[in-house]
Amino acid sequence: MIQKKACMLGSFSVGKTSLVRRFVESIFDEKYQTTIGVKVDKKVVQADGEEVTLVLWDLHGEDAFQKMRMSYLRGMSGYLLVIDPTRRQTLEDALSLQERVQEAMGAIPSILVLNKSDLLEEWDIDLDRVALLEERGQAVIRASAKTGEGVEQGFSRLASAMLQFPV
Amino acid sequence: MKSPSIYDAFLAQQGAALLEFRSRGVFKPLAALPDWFHALWQTGRRKSFRLVEKSPFLENFLADAEEFWNSRAPGAANSGNWIERDASGKEIPLEASAFWLEGKRVLLVRDLSGTFAQQQQLLQTARDSLLAHERLIRETQKKEILLHCIIHDLSQPLTAMRGCFDLLLARNLPPDIAKFVQTGHQESQRQEQMIRGILEAFSADLSGQQAAGADTAAPPDLAVCAQQAVEQFSPAFTERGISLVFDQSLDPHRNWRSVGDAPRIDRIFGNLLENALRYSPKGSTVTVGVEDCGATLIAFVDDEGPGLPTDASRDRVFALFGKGKDRPGKAGLGLYFCKMTVERWGGTIGADNRPGAGSRFWFRLPRAPEKSVAPQEAPAPAERVVRAPVSAGAPGESIEPPEKALRVLVADDNETIRELAVELLRARGHFVTGVADGRAALSAMGRAKPDVVLLDHEMPQLNGVETARAIREREKSSGKRARIIALSGSALAEDKRRALDAGMDAFLAKPFDRGALFQIVETPAHASIVASSGENAPLAEENTDLRAHLQRITGGSEKLLRSLISSFLADAPGKLAAIERAVAREDADALAASAHSLKGAIAIFNAQRSVSAARNLEGLGRARHFQGAGEKVRALKEDLARLERELRALLPQASGRRNARSTRTHRRTRPGR
Repeated sequence: MIQKKACMLGSFSVGKTSLVRRFVESIFDEKYQTTIGVKVDKKVVQADGEEVTLVLWDLHGEDAFQKMRMSYLRGMSGYLLVIDPTRRQTLEDALSLQERVQEAMGAIPSILVLNKSDLLEEWDIDLDRVALLEERGQAVIRASAKTGEGVEQGFSRLASAMLQFPV
Repeated sequence: MKSPSIYDAFLAQQGAALLEFRSRGVFKPLAALPDWFHALWQTGRRKSFRLVEKSPFLENFLADAEEFWNSRAPGAANSGNWIERDASGKEIPLEASAFWLEGKRVLLVRDLSGTFAQQQQLLQTARDSLLAHERLIRETQKKEILLHCIIHDLSQPLTAMRGCFDLLLARNLPPDIAKFVQTGHQESQRQEQMIRGILEAFSADLSGQQAAGADTAAPPDLAVCAQQAVEQFSPAFTERGISLVFDQSLDPHRNWRSVGDAPRIDRIFGNLLENALRYSPKGSTVTVGVEDCGATLIAFVDDEGPGLPTDASRDRVFALFGKGKDRPGKAGLGLYFCKMTVERWGGTIGADNRPGAGSRFWFRLPRAPEKSVAPQEAPAPAERVVRAPVSAGAPGESIEPPEKALRVLVADDNETIRELAVELLRARGHFVTGVADGRAALSAMGRAKPDVVLLDHEMPQLNGVETARAIREREKSSGKRARIIALSGSALAEDKRRALDAGMDAFLAKPFDRGALFQIVETPAHASIVASSGENAPLAEENTDLRAHLQRITGGSEKLLRSLISSFLADAPGKLAAIERAVAREDADALAASAHSLKGAIAIFNAQRSVSAARNLEGLGRARHFQGAGEKVRALKEDLARLERELRALLPQASGRRNARSTRTHRRTRPGR
């Protein structure tokens, strides 16, 4: 069976762990519990008619207290770049993180996940900017780990993109 | 495997597994393995085993570890924390280190369960605090935006009111009528003062501006400010039988310049004097003065009132919404404003009981740096120059005609305010062209050839700043330079700075009165940035009778009334349609702009519900979300339909055609006296 390593990247408290838990275990916990270090989960998905084992690396969010080690990305085929649109800064942080990833890994498949779509009224990001990123080829998806909206689609799209990406 | 030793006991106590790396992911235990290791990876009691298939994380780290071993570097390579789950689902936090030990490539894997919870709690607390701080900042920003919207809405009708009072006072009114109009003018001016005071106090506080507004070019003279405050407030004190005096021991030849800016110093003196007025008994004396304390100056207001309370409420004298127990002021903002302003300039403020009786309210400010003090009696800064006509041009008093007629271009999308400015300037004898947006202003520049251009800050097409930049760009080839004055409902330092940066010469805050308008339009080109008359107070009372309200703001002019209503009836449907289009397309910028424009148009009719509905839509646009927008549009439509019916009923006949006067150049006419 094909196996692909995918990483969850983004600032702290954007919902990376919650997205993985929703995807792998169909669970959502309202209480925010910060991640220390790395958690690795696996899930088999169907993509482009094939079964793919996604090895999901849930990396701790970056901030002044924890920095991401680029060595964790070794062997990564793609990544979900997660932001919390109610916090404008998380988009900036994500884009800066993406620059570092591209420097190290080149342009590999990625999906910008606008998490917390259940809190649309509180979104504070510049959607024009997101639209511009989309125009430039960045895959974008709105999701909510809380309601499940867009979660399966996000991981499936990434799996599909990773399969299609020339190795 | 060796027999149990002290090393085994130590490793067991540490919850650690010590493994020797053999080759290709194969490890050999160097000591007894802890229970968690068996539970996790079920290696049994084999002498060697592969780990890489069991843990993707370890597999990844092994690449780093091998690199480290091959480098023969001292120390250790560390994996960082990671979490594994055993068969029961229990999470085990681990950390691995690779190093050389007695010629062996060794991997130490430790269970961090003992310290992990504490580490996580610490990090959790730090991040929760960060999130709470971010939320607080966002909430603060939202409130500030809301405050600006409210201030803007409150200010708009005032411009019209004061303009109408000015127009009325320019006529030959019977003395008894003139007195009423004069009172109306004064009250609207007071209202303006309060609105601006709130804006300054809160917005500066919320945005955390530091040392905002300190005038380094022409620092204020505290003694002059104190003396002017005494002159200004003397009538009010006299009326109450209190004597207000300027400290005669002060040496006027000394240098009394401090940091800060004169208008705010004036307001601080004003607030302290209002406070003294409330607490001073009849027959007492209030003394205002300044003392020299070397590097600092102390300004004071001494009263002979009951003195300060001795309980804890004394500490709240300068607090936000802090009010006296017996004779509270208005909103509890005055002394709070004083404190914030003085502290922003690096000063201190306080109040003490005086020996004998009464209290001293004082503020201490650093002296102005020598280099910023003018070597000779410099002309007052522009802001002060413009304030004078507010009283000189007070109701009922005649204002000297201008030395020469000017060509003036007025650009404001709010038709009412535009027409008032046009009418006032036309009556003054100037040639005036009115246009509704920045692009039209640029088109009109060629034919109007204005000496002075008034540009509203927020306009469709091109806003004031953009238009000013374009005008300045064009002037590079023509060699001619018009004076450009920014018109804005906000008088924040940031807005003024943007106006200056765009090449504007002066700044007139709305609402304005005719004195300030004339002065700023007719001020010679060297004047720098200027705030308007801007001394303001309370909210307009709810108006239930539309006819009476309109008669008041138009000064009873049937012509102006018809013009106002016709313009509104012609414009409102288009503005509403623009809002509907913006909502349908989820175009946030268009929604904010069109709702703002309609709100300004409705505000003049004091239709609070419609204004509120338009404001809500503007807020949605600015927040860039559309949930509930359709409902709000429907509510707005219903309110507008009601307003339109009422307005049509006021028109003597169906003369809904838009008055095109605002886009024509007006002939110069002298006002009748």
